[in-house]
This record gives sequence, structure tokens and C-alpha cells, in this order.
Amino acid sequence: MILQGLVAVFQPLTILLIAVGTFVGIIFGAIPGLTATMAIVMFLPVTYSMTASQGISTLMALYIGGISGGLISAILLNIPGTPSSVATCFDGKPMADKGEAGKALSTGVVFSFIGTAIGIALLIILAPVLCDVALKFQAYEYCALAIFSLSMVIALTGHDTPKGLVSAVLGALLATVGLAPIDSRPRFTFGLYQLNNGFALVVLLIGLFAISEVMAYAENVRQDQNFTVKEDFKMKGLGFTAKEFVSNIPNAIRSALIGVGIGILPGIGGGVSCMISYTVSKNLSKQRELYGTGIMDGVVASETANNATIGGAMIPLLSLGIPGDAATAMLLGGLQVHNVSPGPLIYQNNGQVVYAIFFAMMVAAVFMLLFMMLGMKIFVSVLKIPKNFLLPVVVVLCGIGAIGNANMAFDTYVMVGFGLMAYLMKKAKIPSVPMILGFILGPMFEENLRRCSQLTSSDPFYNHPIFMVLIAVTVVVSVFSVRANQKEAKIAAGQEKKALENAENQ
Amino acid sequence: MGKNYKSDIVPGIVLMVFSICYLALIPTVSEFVGLGSTPLTNHFVPELWGGVLLFLGIWIFVRGLRKRKRFLAEGGIPEKGAGFWSSEKEVVESFVALTIYVALMTPVGFVISTILYITAQILILTKVELWKKTWLPALITGVVFGVALDYIFKVFLNVLLPTGILGW
Repeated sequence: MILQGLVAVFQPLTILLIAVGTFVGIIFGAIPGLTATMAIVMFLPVTYSMTASQGISTLMALYIGGISGGLISAILLNIPGTPSSVATCFDGKPMADKGEAGKALSTGVVFSFIGTAIGIALLIILAPVLCDVALKFQAYEYCALAIFSLSMVIALTGHDTPKGLVSAVLGALLATVGLAPIDSRPRFTFGLYQLNNGFALVVLLIGLFAISEVMAYAENVRQDQNFTVKEDFKMKGLGFTAKEFVSNIPNAIRSALIGVGIGILPGIGGGVSCMISYTVSKNLSKQRELYGTGIMDGVVASETANNATIGGAMIPLLSLGIPGDAATAMLLGGLQVHNVSPGPLIYQNNGQVVYAIFFAMMVAAVFMLLFMMLGMKIFVSVLKIPKNFLLPVVVVLCGIGAIGNANMAFDTYVMVGFGLMAYLMKKAKIPSVPMILGFILGPMFEENLRRCSQLTSSDPFYNHPIFMVLIAVTVVVSVFSVRANQKEAKIAAGQEKKALENAENQ
Repeated sequence: MGKNYKSDIVPGIVLMVFSICYLALIPTVSEFVGLGSTPLTNHFVPELWGGVLLFLGIWIFVRGLRKRKRFLAEGGIPEKGAGFWSSEKEVVESFVALTIYVALMTPVGFVISTILYITAQILILTKVELWKKTWLPALITGVVFGVALDYIFKVFLNVLLPTGILGW
């Protein structure tokens, strides 16, 4: 199967698709407001007629390119191209201001590559281990896993836990539309046969991430959005010395491990991992006071972590069918389109595709390194493409994605509906990522809960140690997360009060 | 403090109404009671989610009311409606354009509806002062992408796109 995967990827057409995917992904990552998720959404219909290996390889290349490209605008514009590059701004922009833009970009690119490589290595090692563990899972364990994953919503919602929970519950509620699990009775279909299979994940994601982005841009049409791109930089060689590289290796390894760890947790993506690794790197550094003033170590921490998150997020996706972040949720949609079922049996049923994914990720990482080191000027010039011309084309491609998903024009109406819902949620300050978790985990929870209800008399829950451990971990995580969120809310309220008092005094 | 009470009160009301409607629809779902049925029926989980959503809706609504009370007690003056149309005009126009596009796609066909949509959406996303300079490039973009995407997806990628009355 390893050889089959290798052969599937090292075909001229697949290599070309990976190269194109990486290139387009970098462009999407570089332009603020366009994300890796949107790149995958946009290119999903293009993969419909491809083989599973070709299609998934292209989507993986878009994902890696999309996460990596964010560093360009973070360093040159001080605007993160993707949420994963937020922490890159902290030292990347000051480095650019000091005339070290080339060095900052080179550092970001090289350590993005290293982060991706470490992430892939850990993915290859950990995914089969998790699959072996998951093979022991039965209804009780899957039910507990769904509850545990849903409890992560509390951790990722920050100081407004109720709104995060609203989003997750809304997602779970949307997933109840269609035929019920186990007994296949139609629920909430209103007599529409198009709803018998429920809402498609791809269509939900298009509405949540692509349509709402156009609306967010539309909101600011009348404001000046001109920015100047710093183009007077030179990328000479690697841009940093061997000594600087060696001194940053511990920082890179630590950040990569944080990135992979955060990636494995459901729903928490690169945006959180780069912030945490940056903070850890700063706190452990001997020159902590230099962070934020334009220090290479800050860029290393952020960029290694966010790219390592890619490998981490793929681990639960492949072995349990639970996405690590929004982009991997989209990849889950892509896998479903190509009849690949993620889960503990993926190695047995679709081993070739899994190994093709691993090889495609490696090839995409190499392409990313080459493209960004050699063609940085091209990606910088892309920052000038007017978004008012770009976004309508993205919407049209998303519409094709919605139609092509099940060859139903009906899905385009659903796409608009979800887009409207996503926009209103944004206005109400309700986060959208927990909704994806709820939508994916809701059916898993329901099916296994109902199976458990059948089993309780013959096979009680206390016979399942993994179930007990997962429930205990869920309780601990929930309690700690609620306490951390309350603390954060108090700090936020204090800052708001202080800001108001200052405004009144002035 | 508590100036943002509206972003709690309004969503709270919407969530409460939505969850009540959802809960009211659950009895219309037929339950399976035959051989092999589960003790927890297909009503249980929808009732659980609907109930939790109703609870969260009430929580957010009450929180909003408390924020408002605190805000007024601290001498805050409630903001009057800032004129929805004036602040969100382009958003509403974008949604209308998108809805018309989707509605026209099947009867009119992908190519024509896409040309019209891209042109209109570009203009909506452009400041009115720049429309004179933008309409022609917008139309060209619409025609190029409308025709090219239709050709690429139909011929090379085998995606079935609506052909419409003109049979394109």
C-alpha cells in the first residue's frame, strides 16, 4: 500500500496538481481575508472528476500552501493573511521595519517547512497508533469521544462560553435534519426529498466561510482599504546565519510539538497554536524583552507551530473522522466526496489514499519551500489584486462546489441560507467554528447514544474503561476551561471598564 | 460597561423563538417502535438539543437584560437604530444579488446568470464613485469567467451545470 501510495503521487499529473495547489494555496494564504479553508472550498469542485489520490493530494497542497502563505502579509503588511499567522506579525513586521523583511520572510518560509515536516512525521507515527486504539472503540467509547470533543468547544470559545455552546448546539441541531440514524425515519425534511440525506458538510462550510467573507467585505466597501505593500526587500540565500539557525532549533522543536498537540485537539487550529507557542517561546527565552521588537525567534515560534498544526489536525481526521480545524473539516468533505471514510479502518479500506496523502504532504511542503524562496516577489504582487473582483469569482466557484457535491441546484439555496446564517451569527458575535464540530459530532453522538441505550442492560458502561476515562477527562477539561474562561471574561470586563474611564476622563 | 447588550438581547430572543419552533416540530416526526427499536427514540436527541438551545437562549437574553440595566444605571444612553439600510446597504444588496443568481441559474442557465452576477457583485463591492471606471472591467470579468468556468467544468471536469433556456 505504501508503494501504491507512492506511485499514485509520483505521477506527472499528480505532481503538477500538487504544484498548482501549493501555488494557489500560498496566494490564498497571502491575501488577507482569503484562507486555506476558502482555497479548499473553491477547488473542491475541480477535484470531483479526479481519482481519490489526485483529488485529496490537490486539497492537501492547498491546505499546506494556504497556511504557509499567511506569513507574507503578516510580515509585509502587519495583517495576518490567515488566522494562523497572527503571532507572526508581532516580530515579522518590526523586522521588516528594521530593513530585515527578506530575513523575516526567509525565516518564516524555512521554519514553516520544518514545522510541516515535523507535523507530517508525527502524523505518520501517531495516526496508525490512534487507529489501533480506536479499533477497540464501541458505541460507549464513540459516544464518550463525541462528548469529549464537544467539550473542547468550551475551551476554544474564550470568555463567551454560552455563545460558543450556542454555535455547537446549532450545528448539532442542523445535523438532525434528514433520515434519523438507526431507524431512518425522516426528520424536519418538510416533505423535501432533497433534505432526506440532511445538509451536506461542504455546503455548510461554503456558507459559513466563503459567503460570510464576501458579506464582511461588503460591509466595509465605503471605507478606504488601501494599504502599501513593502516591496523593497531582497531575499538573498537563506537570509540568516547557520549560528542563528542552530540556536533556534530547540525553539522550533518545542513550537512544532505545541503545534501538533493543539492540532490534534478537535476544533482548535493554527490560530491558537501560533499564539501559544509564541507565548511559550517568549516566556522561556533569555532575551524575552526583545520579543515584539523584531526578533527572529518570534517568527520561528509562530511559523513552526502553525505549520506543524497541519500534521496534528490530520491525525484525528484520518483515524477518528474528527477534524482538527475548519480546513480539515473541509478536507473531511473532500474525503467523503471521493468515497474515502476516515476512521480506524482507513488503513485497511483506503490504505493507498492514506499513504498518498502522506507523500502528497511531503511533496507539497517541498514545493512550498521552493516557490516561496524563489518566487516571493510574485506572491507579494498578488497582494495588490482587488478583492472586489476576486470575491465574486470565489462565490461562483463555491456555487459550482455546492451544485457538484450532489448534482443538485437545491444546494445553492442552502448555501445562501447558511451564508445568511453565518453573517447574522457574526453580527451576534457567535463563533462559527464550534458549529462545524457540532454538525460533525452530533450524528456520531446520537447514533452511539441510542446504541448504548440498547446495550445498557446486557453490557453496562462500567465495563468500558476507555469510556470512563474519556468522561473523566471531559469533566476535568470542562471545569478547567470554564474557570479559565471566567478569568478571561473578568480581565476583558476590567479592560473595557478601564478604557471607558479613560475615555470619560479625556 | 455592558454597552454591547444588544448583541445579547436580540440573539437571545431569536434563539428562544427558534428553539421553541424546533421543539414544537419534534412530535411531527414519526417514532419507530417496532422490533429492534432503541429505548431512546429518534425524538430524544432533537429534544435534548432543542432544550439546551432554549436554555442558552434564555441565558443570553437574561444576560443582555442585566447588561442593559447596568449600562443605564451607570448613566449610559441607549443607542437609537442607526438606520439599518444605510449601514448594511451593500450586504443586503449582495444577498439579494446572490439569491437572484441562484434563482435564475436553473431557468436562465449558468453562463448568463454568472455573467450578470459577477458584474453586479463587483459593482456592489465597489464604491459608487468608481462605478464609471469599473463597469466595463466588471462586465469583461463576468463574461470571461462565466464562459471559461462553464467550459472548464462541463468539458474537462464533468460537473453538470444548469444549461437553461438557451441550451448553453
